[in-house]
Amino acid sequence: MAAEITDRVQELAEARGVAESEILERALERGVEDLWTDLVLARYVDGEIDRARAIKLVGRDHVKRAEREVKAVEDDITWGLDA
Amino acid sequence: MGPRRVIVAVADTGSLIHLEEADALDLLSTVDELVIPQTVYDELEVGDDPPTLSSIAHEVVRARQNLTQVDHSLDPGETAALNAAIGRDAVLLTDDLEARNVAEDENVEVYGSIGVIALAYTRGRTSKQEAADLMRALQRETSLFVTDAVIERGISLLQAEGH
Repeated sequence: MAAEITDRVQELAEARGVAESEILERALERGVEDLWTDLVLARYVDGEIDRARAIKLVGRDHVKRAEREVKAVEDDITWGLDA
Repeated sequence: MGPRRVIVAVADTGSLIHLEEADALDLLSTVDELVIPQTVYDELEVGDDPPTLSSIAHEVVRARQNLTQVDHSLDPGETAALNAAIGRDAVLLTDDLEARNVAEDENVEVYGSIGVIALAYTRGRTSKQEAADLMRALQRETSLFVTDAVIERGISLLQAEGH
């Protein structure tokens, strides 16, 4: 995996015409953003923050996606347990 | 408890791939009759490491075109699986949220890989703990996109169940 990441960083840097350090900086920013979104959605799904707060923090699309996922998983569990 | 329901299910490509990646493909034998459209078979063959379906009893069909791809935004495998489900009054198995929306619009019962695992638990194929571990594997170790908190919500529902 480490070798694969190194290769991809190199290829991205060449393709974008920027230094590998810049690719790593962008990757860190994007990774932290994803982790932050996951954390906010987890708090929303667990009822620790309300919908308006979640939308303010990560945007309506992420919240609506999480709500759709919750309904799908709840439907799946109900079906599996009742069948 | 009423009589056990006979479940006829049509699987799309994504659900088969996700269950294979979670090492849970054999749980599909929990359904009473599994149908796989030829289009889905063809899509699986395109992948680098296609799931091994030989150990699971299933019927391969060519679906009639009740819906076409131009009717919606689904890919060919999802469309074929939905068409096959409509033609058989069967359950559609898909993890794609858009496919679930279209299926519900067509009044087709639709569930995903999580449902297959829950069904396997209800029918005695896995323990509650194994089912919870497989659900976490679906989220962490497969290409299925679902938020971890949502999976934990599903596990809590399973664990609250009184079997």
